[in-house]
Amino acid sequence: MIAVEDLRKRYGKTQAVDGLSFTVEPGRVVGFLGPNGAGKTTTLRILLGLVHANSGQATILGKRYSQLERPFCQVGAVLEASGFHPGRKARNHLRVLARAGHAPAKRVDEVLATVGLEGAAKKRVGGYSLGMRQRLALASALLGDPGVLILDEPANGLDPEGIRWLRDFLRSLAAEGRAVLISSHVLSEVEQTVDEVVIINKGKLVAHGSVEELKRGKDGRVRVASPQAKALEEKLAKAGFVVTEDGEALLVAGATSAQVGEIAASSSLVLHELTPLATQLEDVFLDLTSEEKT
Amino acid sequence: MIAALSSEWLKLRTTRTLFWLLVALSALMTLIVVAGVIGSQKHSITSAKDQLDLLGIGSLGIFIALIMGLIVSTGEFRHGTITPTLLATPSRTSIVIAKALAGMFFAVALVGLAEGLVALELAIALPAKGVDFAIQGGPAAGFIGRILIAAALWGALGSGIGIVIRNQIGAVVASFAWLFIAEGLIIAILHSNAINSNAGRFFPFQATGAILTNGSRNSADILSAGGGMAALGGWMALFTIAAVVLLSRRDVS
Repeated sequence: MIAVEDLRKRYGKTQAVDGLSFTVEPGRVVGFLGPNGAGKTTTLRILLGLVHANSGQATILGKRYSQLERPFCQVGAVLEASGFHPGRKARNHLRVLARAGHAPAKRVDEVLATVGLEGAAKKRVGGYSLGMRQRLALASALLGDPGVLILDEPANGLDPEGIRWLRDFLRSLAAEGRAVLISSHVLSEVEQTVDEVVIINKGKLVAHGSVEELKRGKDGRVRVASPQAKALEEKLAKAGFVVTEDGEALLVAGATSAQVGEIAASSSLVLHELTPLATQLEDVFLDLTSEEKT
Repeated sequence: MIAALSSEWLKLRTTRTLFWLLVALSALMTLIVVAGVIGSQKHSITSAKDQLDLLGIGSLGIFIALIMGLIVSTGEFRHGTITPTLLATPSRTSIVIAKALAGMFFAVALVGLAEGLVALELAIALPAKGVDFAIQGGPAAGFIGRILIAAALWGALGSGIGIVIRNQIGAVVASFAWLFIAEGLIIAILHSNAINSNAGRFFPFQATGAILTNGSRNSADILSAGGGMAALGGWMALFTIAAVVLLSRRDVS
């Protein structure tokens, strides 16, 4: 649905995007992560036809954005919480876009209600808070009822309630079969929202996979305690996991709690403790991007 | 294209810019008409030709038309609305053409209203001074028609300049610096003995003068009204093409 293939973009001496490739499938929420200056926004802008790539392909639904039949109704985008005329009322901002993008006029009030701005629809955007602007940007993206959403830092400026709303909202969009590509630096929020992540650094792909895969691949461990520790250690080792002792418990590397629990159950071994040693996405992210830096 | 044009139309109607431009233009027109009538000797404003010259005060609205054209385009870059505009209308050529047409339409509307106001004020002020209102429909219609054509061209030219320069203040300053300083300076140089050329008559301000005076100045230094329209239309086309080329090549980030 979204395909980036060997994408390259150079600004003067800076290689902003350097041979980047990844895909986003329908019904998936994909986090697009990277430190500041990693090339996230440039990549998203190339996808949306706002920035010209030096080489490579960036397509949505198999075509470049500008070649889509009705791009505004096929792809919704939030790129920044600006992009509003401060003297224009929110409802009129959406009417302008709906008219240009061939979206039905009735969608204006629908999306205002969806993002909770119906009460402020007739206020000029200049009087909006950052959170309200972010909601209005989301409303703009949803105007055409698109199957693909590309969101650059959509949680910026939202209060905790708004962030929770956004998280649930993005999940509901993905459940409807839409593809969502969301860039963010609020990693803890992305972790709770996305199915998979694409991590880039210095314009290059560093990692792409599900959050669980990345955590497990990097430092996923499970702490398990059993009165039959020796037998359990043998079974786990036989299953290919690396097991080390941790006091009276065992540390199993590269395994999930479910895998360890199933192995214990299949051998009728009693467990006193089964604790996944959670690795935060932030840790994975920092590890991957700092490795790349060195 | 129609969707983009319709959107441009709505953009201008949904901010207060147009309203304040109209207020400024109306105030300016009223001030000049009142000063012009009060400050003139009766005999100098009695003939139809003299009164037609007074009607020409409305042509000052052409400068407002230029400003409006500049705002149509530079406003997008100033407020960052160029990004959602391009997302809704990815064809950059369509955007430039829609803005040029919007600049034209609004310029004609503004200057048309200004001319109507001037005519109304003259119809009141002249009899109040004891002078009969002598403007005839035919010549007035032709004169106002030429003013509106010039306004339309300046509105579109402004929108093209706005996309080329992008910075709102920079575009306004550059445009008026050309009109009031650079154009005259270059013409003076062209007229100098060393060069002795009257190529300056093709310049925008001179071409506008030709449209408004209908080539009545008996001089090789000024074009006919049609020539003026062609020359000003040429500048408009040049800046529209430049706007298409530049907007298509530029990254919007």
